[in-house]
Amino acid sequence: MDPRLRRRIERTFADDLRGPINQRLDTTEMRIGAASVTTVMRTLHDDPELDFKVLADLAGVDTGSEMWVVYHLWSAQSPDWLRVIVDGLSRDDPRVPSVTFLWNGADWAEREAYDMFGIIFEGNRDLRRIYMPPDYTSFPLRKDFLLPDDAARSPGEGFRHMEQTHQPAEQLRQPVLRDAKDSLAPDRGPRQ
Amino acid sequence: MTATEPRTVRSLDDPDIWVDTPATIFDAVPPYPPRTEREAEFYHLRDGEMLLNLGPQHPSTHGVLRVVLKIDGERVVDLDPVLGYLHRGVEKICENGDWHHAISNCDPLEYVASMFSEAMPVLAAEKLLDLKVPRRAEYIRVLAWELNRIASHSLFMGWLALDLGGLTPILYGFIERDEIVEMLAALTGQRLLFNYLRIGGVNGDLTHDFMSRLGDWMGHAGKQIETTTKLLNENEIFVRRTRGLGVIDRETALRTLCSGPVLRATGVPYDVRRAHPYSVYPELEFDVPTRTEGDSYARYLLHVDEVRESMRIIDQVLHDMPDGPVMAKIPRMIRIPPARAFIAVESPRGQYACYAMSDGSDQPFRLRIHDPSFFNLQVVGLVMPGNLIADTMAIMASLDPVMGGIDK
Repeated sequence: MDPRLRRRIERTFADDLRGPINQRLDTTEMRIGAASVTTVMRTLHDDPELDFKVLADLAGVDTGSEMWVVYHLWSAQSPDWLRVIVDGLSRDDPRVPSVTFLWNGADWAEREAYDMFGIIFEGNRDLRRIYMPPDYTSFPLRKDFLLPDDAARSPGEGFRHMEQTHQPAEQLRQPVLRDAKDSLAPDRGPRQ
Repeated sequence: MTATEPRTVRSLDDPDIWVDTPATIFDAVPPYPPRTEREAEFYHLRDGEMLLNLGPQHPSTHGVLRVVLKIDGERVVDLDPVLGYLHRGVEKICENGDWHHAISNCDPLEYVASMFSEAMPVLAAEKLLDLKVPRRAEYIRVLAWELNRIASHSLFMGWLALDLGGLTPILYGFIERDEIVEMLAALTGQRLLFNYLRIGGVNGDLTHDFMSRLGDWMGHAGKQIETTTKLLNENEIFVRRTRGLGVIDRETALRTLCSGPVLRATGVPYDVRRAHPYSVYPELEFDVPTRTEGDSYARYLLHVDEVRESMRIIDQVLHDMPDGPVMAKIPRMIRIPPARAFIAVESPRGQYACYAMSDGSDQPFRLRIHDPSFFNLQVVGLVMPGNLIADTMAIMASLDPVMGGIDK
């Protein structure tokens, strides 16, 4: 835990912070909104006192109710990892400014977050799917994307036979004949 | 568009013409309109340019990577790496199994040095629980990591030479690697995917078989590494084909999120073992070798230096190995209270990191794996244009990508 970093962030980003700064073990955590990503990241990178030159990771998160984009930064000025959480993105249309203007290597990480969560990074010139095929339509790491063998989440269900795995568990419980068109079965992709 | 409808695709002869022929995997031009600005720009060919598929099944791509090269004669003008051939959605799989399953699921990510990728869920869970691991277990982990690093690096040296057309060094590389892999098999029971680390320690103490193999190896490893490197260090053809090739400067490497030998070859002494210490590395004495040239040859020499540093660490670890248990006392079924944790280790390819979230259940809520080769590979887009097709191999091999981790 680095109290100096905490004070410095509180001083520099007083207007951008959405909630208190958390510190646990070797990580300092701050929360900002999508609107201040560009200025906050630029200041973190350029300010000689902060000097966060290494973007250690960029990850998308689906909490079930909203989307996050989580950045981890490293600086020689602080012994802590800095975690910047951009929270409060809507699940229907998550949009966040791209950081490729600072780290062009974030390009692929943003493509991955787009591919897996559908998060749109505005300003990324090459935002297309990176793992899944181009005609794929769903976002696999979202929490409402169920795996056919998702029995682990529902221990009461027991096992399902191989030929039943194309149906989600809810449909097995209510054997109602459905029209193929309005089936609620999520797209599970060709690579399961 | 469904599979049964006739599709219009671009002709291979002239990408501006759309034809009804069904697309095959051999089509370099995607059978769909460009999705982004950059894709439109890449697939628009000027006079004299053509597209060439390198991969997906090409030995020099070190796995199943497809790189679409835009070439003008023998020169590479631009390139577009296409990933996903090995994608199995390990992050989703981990979310649907419990924390112990995640260890063996993360194992095949970096299959050349899987002791590092299997450490991801382990270290993440330990940090989420704020768990103290017995000192002996920490020392055994460092020993296993450094042995695996040497195994991976010696294979890298052979691979680099192999991609340049030299067949001999890979044989020496495999001799070196095989000894270590057999040694680790005596310790863990597996040659490739060890599944040895556990949340709270390691699976089993050091065995007699392992120690005797390690002793044998320590006796001649130094000499053997000198022999192997002498084959390449002074080799006229090798040096002339790698020196000055694929130069990455300091600023570019940092901005492209490179790490590991690729970053250190540009002069940035960023090694997670020193930059953000974990395990017992603060107690060990070793240097972080750097080079300033940033070319393929510098990356190769850096690997050699790192092998020497790893040998130093192994010496110290064996000298200081404490007694005691190798597992912390934790319940078999772990329920981790809601928390977030970020951990990073220095793998042979760079910073292997993991961001884990727990929601209080026995399964990870989110387990994000950050693979260094994914980001190191990205730099080919910057350094490859302007080089000869034959040199793409030398550049790509010197970045040392492992597709298992890149595609996750």
